[in-house]
Formats: sequence, structure tokens, C-alpha cells
Amino acid sequence: MKPLFTSLPLVFCGLASASSLQIHNGAPAGQPGVLAGRDAALQILVTSTDENGRQHDATREVTWKIEPEGLVTLSPAGRALPLQDGTVMLTATGKDGAVASTSLTIKNAAKNRDLHFKNDIVPVFTKYGCNGGGCHGKSEGQNGFKLSLLGFEPAEDFEHLVNESRGRRLFPAAPESSLLLLKSTGEMPHGGGSRMERGSPDYQSIVRWMEQGMPKGDPAAPVPVSLTVTPGERLLAPDSDQQLQVIAQYSDGSWQDVTTLVQYDSGAKEMATVTPAGLVRTAQQPGDAAVMIRFMEMVSVFRATIPLGAPLGEFPSEKNYIDTNVFTKLRTLGLPPSGLCDDATFLRRATIDITGRLPRPAEVAAFAADTSPEKRAALVDRLLATPDYAEYFASKWASLLRNKRADRPAYGTQVFYSWIRDNLNQNRPFSEMASGILNASGSVITSPPAAWYRAVQKPQDEMQDIAQIFCGQRLQCAQCHHHPYEKWSQQDYFGFSAFFSTVARKASDQPAEEAVFHQPGVASAQNPRTGQPVKPTPLGGTTLALEPQDDPRAPLATWLTAPGNPFFARMFANRYWKHFFSRALVEPEDDMRVTNPPVNPALLDALAADFTKSGFNMKAFIRTICTSSTYQLSSLPNEYNAKDRQNFSRFYPRRLQAEVLLDSIDNVTGLNSRFPGQPVERRAVGLPDDSFNAGNYFLTVFGRPENSSACECERTQDSSLAQSLHLLNSKGIQEKLTAPASRAAQLAKDPQPMEERIKQLFVMAYSRPPEASEGAKALEYVTHKNGEQVAWEDMVWALLNTKEFLFNH
Amino acid sequence: MLTLRSQQHSGSFCDGLSRRSFLRIGGLGGLSLPGLLRAESEQGLGKSNKALILVYLPGGPPHQDMFDLKMDAPSEIRGEFSPIRTNVPGIQICEHLPRMARMADKFAFVRSVVGAKDRHESFQCVTGRLNDNVPPGGWPEIGSVVSKLQGGGPAVPSYVNLSPRMQHTPYNQGRTSFLGVAHAPFMPMGSVKDDMTLNGVSLERLADRRSLLTSFDTFRREADSSGSMNGVDAFTEQAFDILTSSRLLKALDISNEDPKLLERYGKGTDKIQGDAAPRLNEQFVLARRLVEAGVRVVTISYSFWDWHGDNFKIAKQNLPDFDQAITALVQDLHDRGLAQDVSVLAWGEFGRTPRINPKGGRDHWPNVSCALLAGGGMRTGQVIGATDRIGGEASERPVHFQEIFATMYSNLGINPNTTTVPDLTGRPHYLVDGQFQPMKEVIA
Repeated sequence: MKPLFTSLPLVFCGLASASSLQIHNGAPAGQPGVLAGRDAALQILVTSTDENGRQHDATREVTWKIEPEGLVTLSPAGRALPLQDGTVMLTATGKDGAVASTSLTIKNAAKNRDLHFKNDIVPVFTKYGCNGGGCHGKSEGQNGFKLSLLGFEPAEDFEHLVNESRGRRLFPAAPESSLLLLKSTGEMPHGGGSRMERGSPDYQSIVRWMEQGMPKGDPAAPVPVSLTVTPGERLLAPDSDQQLQVIAQYSDGSWQDVTTLVQYDSGAKEMATVTPAGLVRTAQQPGDAAVMIRFMEMVSVFRATIPLGAPLGEFPSEKNYIDTNVFTKLRTLGLPPSGLCDDATFLRRATIDITGRLPRPAEVAAFAADTSPEKRAALVDRLLATPDYAEYFASKWASLLRNKRADRPAYGTQVFYSWIRDNLNQNRPFSEMASGILNASGSVITSPPAAWYRAVQKPQDEMQDIAQIFCGQRLQCAQCHHHPYEKWSQQDYFGFSAFFSTVARKASDQPAEEAVFHQPGVASAQNPRTGQPVKPTPLGGTTLALEPQDDPRAPLATWLTAPGNPFFARMFANRYWKHFFSRALVEPEDDMRVTNPPVNPALLDALAADFTKSGFNMKAFIRTICTSSTYQLSSLPNEYNAKDRQNFSRFYPRRLQAEVLLDSIDNVTGLNSRFPGQPVERRAVGLPDDSFNAGNYFLTVFGRPENSSACECERTQDSSLAQSLHLLNSKGIQEKLTAPASRAAQLAKDPQPMEERIKQLFVMAYSRPPEASEGAKALEYVTHKNGEQVAWEDMVWALLNTKEFLFNH
Repeated sequence: MLTLRSQQHSGSFCDGLSRRSFLRIGGLGGLSLPGLLRAESEQGLGKSNKALILVYLPGGPPHQDMFDLKMDAPSEIRGEFSPIRTNVPGIQICEHLPRMARMADKFAFVRSVVGAKDRHESFQCVTGRLNDNVPPGGWPEIGSVVSKLQGGGPAVPSYVNLSPRMQHTPYNQGRTSFLGVAHAPFMPMGSVKDDMTLNGVSLERLADRRSLLTSFDTFRREADSSGSMNGVDAFTEQAFDILTSSRLLKALDISNEDPKLLERYGKGTDKIQGDAAPRLNEQFVLARRLVEAGVRVVTISYSFWDWHGDNFKIAKQNLPDFDQAITALVQDLHDRGLAQDVSVLAWGEFGRTPRINPKGGRDHWPNVSCALLAGGGMRTGQVIGATDRIGGEASERPVHFQEIFATMYSNLGINPNTTTVPDLTGRPHYLVDGQFQPMKEVIA
């Protein structure tokens, strides 16, 4: 997908006279910018807006007039440095003559600010990677020198730097001869090489800090409380630049430019890269790219959207808000969607996605014959009403909820699976299902979801699973240190953990099954760093006051499923979106960090709001997805969208998952697999737990999960050589092809005309009749082999190994 | 049989062929020209060809009877064997390893491996982790990690495990891990063995089927930009390759090796030893051939080393075969100019007790054990570490087994201290724990 350069000038430049300029001086709107102290710096940003409202970064293209002169210097990149106290007026003139101006106040230009170890020095270590997990930040330190990971524990860092090793690392009498600076500039041998340039502003900061006597800084000094990146998002042309300006707000209401102090990390380097000075450069590939910005405990994000700018043509009709949001984005990107898929494809696609099986030949015929304009919506309703739907989605949840047999009797996992399936079948609200799991008390017999508590035994593991499954928050990092990409601290981690601190287990009347109960007592968890107990605290919420007899899980469930919960509906929406579209709006689907923004934020908001408003109605949610035009787009690309992987301009095919593939092969070959201890008609999709994998090489090699984690990623749909060999040449498949009861044997014996039998086979495998050329080829082959069973075996084998069969498309 | 010669030489053999020339087309069907070009590009011409051959000695070999003989210890500890001089002045090893002694300059002997647990399993030897507090999904084996990090297109699998299924199941490799089945080893002697030889169809029939498949498999591949359809295509092609006698199968077929060379490797025996593996010397040749074909990590399980009785009698059966196989491999790698690229590591899960038990055997001893290193551009011809007078504890330079993993990763061109792989919770794991670095003694 090459960007269309020809159309870009029209889109991006506009008419010369009609553009306007805007200067961002870092200060709140309307106030003059401030440079305070000799080492202050300010990134000035200039934005040009054309008459169509399109904006671009003009920082480097304007010419500046500074009045009076001599008070500041301004680099071509827009970086202002103080020379002398006073107020200056900066006037920018754009290439087309547009003009804008702003004023700057310079204070204490001759005076050094009192540096603060935590606020000024530690961020330097983070920026240069000194305290990264691969270097001095790991728990053992590096070559005897240890810093806290990403500077989250400045008090420890101060101790290590200033006092440890008899103070040999710093030399205040001659700061530039300090071990710290000699090593970090590479003047002395340093395992990490030369990280910092001698004389650079950061180097000077450290020198000055030592000159000031290595102050720890006032513990009551203002601390940064929030981070603002300007712009927050922007439509960027391919091969263009955007300067970022990052401002930290402090607890006393002051603010400071930290553009060069923060750490930048591009989430999609193939689309956009970013320099340490905050200059984003886009590449040729259209799409969305997020740049993560980290400063101390705070994180923020810049989102770049790089349009393709292709002619849009005709869009399918907008069936609901999904289409509105997706198509708006596609129009912004200039990325035309594929057309709608045909009926046969839709039938196969929706049947697989909703019920985990192929359409039956009778369904194919009925759907083709149905002339109702609403037949696709009717199909979705019909599929949702089948027990197949509940069975299929129950296996998805059973995997996330770790329905693992281990060496226990089979009934435990069976009743939990059945409980999930019944919830889905009766379409109980998702909130009830989640509460049911959280609040489970008793044995698996009296309370089937108690099975979750026997698979997940420790409060911290329970908390982590709940956070990942229902909140999309991966908190594991915060167990040992502040989460590097999120706002979560260890205090948050253990506060959330405390909800499970009173879960206890005792013997039940069922052999080998424990009963889960609330052990009355003060719920708390100990923060290992502070040594202090932490009371139950919801993520981002306030600590709860609970009586010893209160089971803290009840208020947790209430918090989790409240309509205003910021995580619950979004997580579900994102997870189910991925089920149907192969790609989640936030990827991976259960890592919904601030720094990992959705590809279509408005869509995710709308989905979550809709799901909440429906009372967490899962079937209604699926219906909304499957009846949207977006879900019904063809997977075949048009001239422009072949490389689109995140904007849903067409359907993204995916390989059938292990169980669905096995069931489908069974359907087509006519020979069902058997599973130990399960009824004859049990399909692989309906297996309750992981214990069937060990004895079934097919399921293992195609990546059926072991139900050992709360992550959907445990199921892998990657291909491998062992899979291909197994499909092409395993004894198991060969038996299914050749057995007396096999489809091939039936087809060989079938008295119907050859053409009819070929059609049957195609409908079975592809949910469509053969095209003329396919029919002719098949006829030729089977006839050439005298219509014998072996010919039909080869035909079945061939269809099973095609991508059309192996993929949902 | 057509041999393709690549213009680009990335390290030559003594016969003048480049390593990459081991791209062969054969059998029926074969590769079309575009397919061929794709195969070449997927082989990553010009990319690093670093590889590892990991020889696992199931059961735990007796360190003090192989590389660290304790002649000053009392007789109930010392044992029956005498040390012999090697071609490196000052280094002595067991008299039953004479070939190794003659080329000790091409080996590094680590006498002080520590960190093990008393567990009969290959876990620690192939994952570099202890089997405790295993993250969900399981720790990956080194070959899976390399497959994940360096992939190397689907032309040949990145990780091949030549071990047969062993009766004592914890010896087996190819565990599922949090890196998923796509990075599990390809096991031509194990789980996929049955799928590698034609099941109930003739070659002609397979050819019929293949042409039938080609005519029906017309679904437009461009519908999928994630690469998974391409992946299926490439693996399907590779699978046909295997079934119709081809590169991977050729690599696994030693019949066209020079008989003289095979003689150097020796035979061993195909009889299964104990509850572990046969003593099959041809595995060492196979490993070399696979590495030449582009495989990055090959693991072998060799014989059975859990000698609770008759230690010396059984050692006299095992050591000569092992000596022959491993020296032939290392010499072969040197002769082919591969010694800079291909690392060899041989070890077991723990050492053996200093004291000889009443049955003439030695029991499990996790306190200290040994490792044999070669190739990989490492500084060889040295002994690293030492044990005390009875070979019971590391007395000098204890080498944690993770340091050896760090060294192997480093030899493969991967920095184990800065590279991470994510587990199922998204938590990044460094390849070895933070305090362990590649061994300075051997990294040139």
C-alpha cells in the first residue's frame, strides 16, 4: 500500500493565504511562557492550520523575530534558552506569510535553580537507561552499582550514589572527575559504554547538583502530578515530522518543560520513530502509531495517524454505531473498505465465529434459498439461540478461568464448565457471571465457580487474574516495583490483592474438593517495600472500610460490575471484538494500559457504553457486532487496503482454532473423534478442561491451551511444520479418509450423479457449491480414477488442506 | 538431485561450497523457481549462522571419572581410572577419553558447575532454569528462545530435537512453553516421526494429491496480511519436501556422508540404555548436518548415565563411544570452518557422589558437576574451576549453570542480559537471571 503522493499536497497544504499559525509556549492558555533559572529550557511549538482544518508542525519552517534581542536564544528546532531576565515577544512568520506571536518571561537567568535529586537527577538516569532492567536497575545491580528500576525509589538511589562504597562514586570537589560522570561518558571503561555526552545539558545538571553539595532536595518540594504532551494526537503525512512538547505540572501549580528529560518509545517503529528530543518522524506506512512518553511515575501518549489518502469510493451502508466509527476512521485515513462478502462466506464466517462449527449442508441450502433482506441478522439470532454458541464460548472462558483438571476427579472441571455454559446459554448478564466467580463460596458442588479458587490459590494470583481477565490490567510488574508503563504502584498492587486476603479453604464433604469461604478478619496485604499493611483498595479507587465479618470480595464485585467502572465493559468489548475481528482494538487484548491506546478510541468507548447500557447483555453485544457492515466486509482486498491490519477495512482471515479445526475435519470426513470419558457426540469444542490434550496430538500440535493462565495468548494459532505434516500425512487423518464409514466411502457408493456428489463435498467443506472450473477438475480426477473410493479420499484430503478450509475468511 | 550454489559465501567448507549451498532440490515436485528464491530469502542469506549443538547426557555423568580425576583422594572416592596427559600441558583427563586428550586444545572443561537440584530431568540442562516457580505456560528451552528471537524463515525449523521418546519422561525435551507450539522443537525422532514417513499412500498417490491440492488451493493469499497464510504455504511446501525426500530429510539421511568420516564418528549402539536413550553416535553427524542446513539449535540425548552400580564397568562401555562421537564432531566442525559459528555443549543434570557405594556405583550429587564446551569461537584448551580434594564441592570459580547458558546465548549472538522474552502475562524475562554473565574465561 503505497501512499498516494499525488493527492497529498491537496490534503495537507491547502491554499497559501488561508492558513493560520498557533504558538504553544508551554504555559496555560493566554499566559506568557516562562524560563526560570539558568538551566531552564522551553520547547516552543508552532502549529499551522489550513483552511480545511488540517494541522501540521511548522516549528522548523517559520522565521522568528525576537524583540528585544539578547534575552533568549532560540534554536531552529524551537528550543528557547535564557540569557538575561526580562520579557520578550516572539513573532513567527510562516512560509505563506501567516503570523503569530507569543511572549516569554525570563527569570533568574543568571541564577542556578536549586536542584532536587528526585525531580531533576533521577530522571536523567532513566533517560539514559542507567536504571533499566538490563543494567543497574535490575535487582542485583550491575557490577556492584545498583539503582532502583526506572528510578521509582529515589531514596534508595540517593543512598547508593552518595553514601555507598565510601562515597567513591561522586567527587564534589571536582565533579567532572567523579566516577559517575567518567563512567557514563565513557572516559573510564564502562560496561554500558558511553551513554552521555560530556558538557551536555544533562551532564551539566549532574555537575551542578554536585557543586550544590549533592542536595537530596526538600522532601516537601513540589512533585510532578501530571504530564501533558502537545499535540496529543495528530494526522501526519507519510515522511513528515512532528515536534512534541512535554510539560510536567507540579503539585504547587507550577509547570516545567520536560521535553528532553522524558523517555520516548514508539509502539510502531515501522510507522513512526521518535528522537530523544521528542521529534516524531513518520515512515511510509499508513495507520496509527502511538509514542509512549514516560517521566518519573507518569506516563502519557502521543497518537499519530498516518493517512493513505486514497480515493474513497462507495462505502457499504452504516448498519449501526460500529460502522459509523469504523467508516469515519477509514475516511480520515483515506482507506476505502472492501465490499460486503457474499452470503455463503457470511454464513460460514458467522457460524464458525458464533458456534465454533461449520454450517451444515441443510443450513447452506436454506440460507441460499432465503430471500429475506434481513436474513443475515436472522441467522445471527438463530446461531445465538443454539446450545452450540454457549458450548463454544464456554470453552473460551474455561480456558481463561483456568479450568484445569490437574489430578483431581473430573466432576470439578465439568461442573464449572457447565456453569459457564449455562450462564451463556441463558444469557445471564456478564456482570452476574463475573460476580458469581468472585463471590464463589463453598465446594464445586454447591458453588461450581469455586473451581476457580482451587485453580488459583494465592491472593496475589487471584488478584492478578481478575485484573487481567476483567480489567485488562496486567499488574504483575507492580508486585516488585512501580509499573513501568502504568500508574500502578506496589501500594495499588497490594491494595487490590487485599480483597482476597480472607479467602480460606477447608475440607468439604466431597472427596478431594476443598470448600472456599471467607475467614472473618481484617482484610489486608503487606506492601513489602514499606512493610505496612494495605487495606482493600479498588484500582484507582479509595480504600474501603470493612468490618472483619465483611467478605471483601462482595464490595469488589460491586465495584467491578458497577456501570461506572472504567475497566469492566471496555475489557469485555475489546476481548469480544478480537474474537470476531482477529485483531483487538487494544492489542494484546488484555493489556489495556494508558500507554497502549486503542486504534479507534471512539469505537471502543461506544462499544463499552453500549454493553453497559444493555445491562452487560452478551448475546446482544455479539448481535451488534455480527450485524454490522464492518463484520460483513469481504476479506479480499481492494487496490488500497491489502496491508491494512488494524483499521478493519476488510475482514482479516484467521486459521481455525485447534478444536474447531478437528471438529470440522470430523464433519467433512464423516468420522468423529472420541474423547475419553465423554459422550460419543461430544465435539472437541465442548471439551470441559485441558486433560484431553495429552492424549490428542492433533489438539496439542494445533495449540489448544492448557488452561494454565488468564491470558488468551495461551491459545496459539501460529502455524508450524509439525502441523502441516500432520494434516498432510498423519495416520489419524488417513484413517478418517479411508475407514468404511468415511465420507469418501459414502461418496463412492452414493448412487447420485458424480456432479451432485462433488457439490455435496464442496458444500460440506466450503459451505458453497464448486465453481465451474473446480467442479470440472474434480469430475476429471474422480472419473480418471474410475470413481473409486481412493479418488474420493484424495478429493477430501485435498479440500481439507486448502487455505479456504483451514481459515475463517 | 540438483544442488544449488549460492553466489554469496558466508563461510566456506573445505570442499569450496558455501554453507548456504546446502540448499538442494530433489524428489518429485520440487520447488518452482519463485519458491526456490523464497526459500533462499527465508534462509536469510548473509545473516548470522551461529548455532548450538547441545548434547544432553541423561542421568548425570560422573564428573570425577571423566574430566576431574581425584588421585589424591582415598580409594573409596578415587575410583579405578587413571588420568592421562592431554595435548594441553597441565590438563589431565580420564584414560578412557584418549581422543579427547589428543585434542584437548579444542575443548574447555568446566569442572565446577553449580546450581543444580537433585532431579532426574533435562529441564535445567535445556531451559537454563530450575523446575520451581515455573511461570504459566512453562519455561522455554533454549532452542525455543532462539526460534522466537531469531526465527530464521520456515525453510528449516530453527530448533530440532533429535532425542527419541525416553521412558523416564522427565528426560524428554520439547516441553510446551509460554512461547507456544510454534517454537517447540521439531522432533524427527519423537512426536512427528510417524508423520514423516508416508502413511498408507505411495509417492505417486501423494503427487496426485499434491497436484489436486494445488488446483483447489486458489484462495487468494493476499487476503491475509498477517503472514499466517504465507506461513501455512511455506510449511506445507516444507512438509511435502520432507515427504518426497528432500532437504530436511537429506540432512537427516547420512547415507551420502563419506564412509570414512562416518567411521570417525563411530557407531555406538541403537540399543536403548536404561530408561533413557540409545548411544547413537550418528546423532552427532545428524546434528552437524542439520546445523549446516540452517537449524540454529539441535539437541541430542545420548545414552544413560545414572550409574548407581558398576560405575566403572559401565563407564568403560560409555566413555569410549562418547569420546569418539564428540571428538569426531568437534574435529569435523573445525575441518569445515564451522568452529567459530557452532557451539557444542555436553552435560547432564548433576554430578555423582564422591564416595563409591557398596554396589560400586556413585549416587546423585547436585553440589557440583561438569560441562564440556567446544567451538563457538570460544577460548578452548583450558580448564575452568576446580573441586576440592574429593570432588565434592566447587573450590575455585564455581560456575552456575546459568553462566553456561549466558555463554551459549552470547555465542549465538544474543545478549542474555539485555534480551527478554515475554511470558503469558506479558512480563518480560531476561534469558538468564541478572547476576549471571557469559563466562569471561571462554568469550574471546
